[in-house]
Amino acid sequence: MNAREINVSGTLVWYYYICPREVWLIGHQITADQDDANVSLGRFIQDYTYPRERKELAVGQSKMDVFRVTDEGLVIGEVKKSSKFKSSARMQLAFYLSELRQRGIEARGELRFPKEKRKEEVVLNEQTERELDKVCREILRILYLPAPPEPKKISFCRRCAYAEFCWS
Amino acid sequence: MKKTLYIFSSGELSRKDNTLFFETEEGRRFIPVEDTGEIMIFGEVTVNKRLLEFLSVKEIMLHFFNYHGYYMGSFYPREHLNSGFMTLRQAEHYLDEERRLNIAKEFVRGAARNIRQVLKYYHGREKDVARQINAVENLIAPIDECKDIPTLMALEGNIRDHYYHAFDEIVGNPDFIFQERTRRPPKNYLNTLISFGNSLMYTICLSEIYKTHLDPRIGYLHSTNFRRFTLNLDLAEIFKPIIVDRLIFSLLGKKMITKKSFDRVTEGIMMKEKARKCFVENLDEKLKTTIKHRDIGRPVSYRRLIRLELYKIEKHLMGEKEYQAFVAGW
Repeated sequence: MNAREINVSGTLVWYYYICPREVWLIGHQITADQDDANVSLGRFIQDYTYPRERKELAVGQSKMDVFRVTDEGLVIGEVKKSSKFKSSARMQLAFYLSELRQRGIEARGELRFPKEKRKEEVVLNEQTERELDKVCREILRILYLPAPPEPKKISFCRRCAYAEFCWS
Repeated sequence: MKKTLYIFSSGELSRKDNTLFFETEEGRRFIPVEDTGEIMIFGEVTVNKRLLEFLSVKEIMLHFFNYHGYYMGSFYPREHLNSGFMTLRQAEHYLDEERRLNIAKEFVRGAARNIRQVLKYYHGREKDVARQINAVENLIAPIDECKDIPTLMALEGNIRDHYYHAFDEIVGNPDFIFQERTRRPPKNYLNTLISFGNSLMYTICLSEIYKTHLDPRIGYLHSTNFRRFTLNLDLAEIFKPIIVDRLIFSLLGKKMITKKSFDRVTEGIMMKEKARKCFVENLDEKLKTTIKHRDIGRPVSYRRLIRLELYKIEKHLMGEKEYQAFVAGW
């Protein structure tokens, strides 16, 4: 793997909390089955919700779903299908906020659950930053493994777009 | 699962707003693009660049068959799944002769075991194919001993010869004698059916490869010259006996295809359009049939089995799990 390609991204932070194997696979551009119903639904939500807001702000390796500039500054939003994996979504968004902070931009974060018509604020505090730091190092460790961590059956497998890849 | 669109009539296929539109002299219809996985074109169909661009974005492959029903070529949209890691691994396994041979052997082994399975099924239905089962079985172990690809391919040809010898007994219909395997043009009805089924199988495998990170130009059994798709040919070996051949036997057994289904033309023997439609419909039905997969814990269609096979190959290339070809258990 080319050293330049090795980079932690927000998506990897999100997957880290769900399945380390997924981190390795995505890090090696081995993407999941794009025909999977949940993947399609995610793409649909991404494309068709919040039509009035600007989409996809790219900073470093990360792409933020939506953003808007308000009187109080930049607000970035991460759109999710459901609030089921809220804590990993929070960390993903925190990662974006810290990427912006490293570039001298203080922003606010919002988790968006359009299907549930809900949103939640995310702020970057010291404790979150410490946790992020730890997670990023752990993600890099996984990415440098010569082969992906072995598949482990967890409850997420049932709906995972990698399931057929892992268990075939 | 997304559908395969088969077009037999003549007309124009185009993009209309954000969906597909097919217009013939008889009528016009919209085809939901999100629901379309691939398009197989048998009729005289006009397409334009705007359509190809749209299909590219929607990641839909287009396969063309000529007037006689033979495969002509495919529109393979620009790659959408790219993993440099996987491409390098795939090439590495091609360049290293031993690794390449290892994968090639598993394709042949898989094909041979599925052939044996088909023969056994008919043996169980009182067809006198014991001799062929024996012959095929005796050729499975020597696969391990092959030292190079040409020897392996010769062995595979040998297995196939024995297998084809059982066809007359299985079909049991004097209209459909096998004689020998002939292609381009096939010399009799049965050969015509086999050729037609196999070329469909190749395109289906190609479409499935497109949905993975593998490059269809790098095959292991069929030699690569980097100009032609070959991995799909390798993959098809495993599925031809259990999907195509079984389908042919069943269509003939049920008299859904008879000698009246063919035309003799200067170029050889051609299936009539109605017969092609019947074949394609039943193949499509078969590919949709699901079986329960032990390890995945979800029902898996025959078509999906082809994709799973590619996943297994990917995992082999990654060094994660040695590839073992799918063998039908029924």
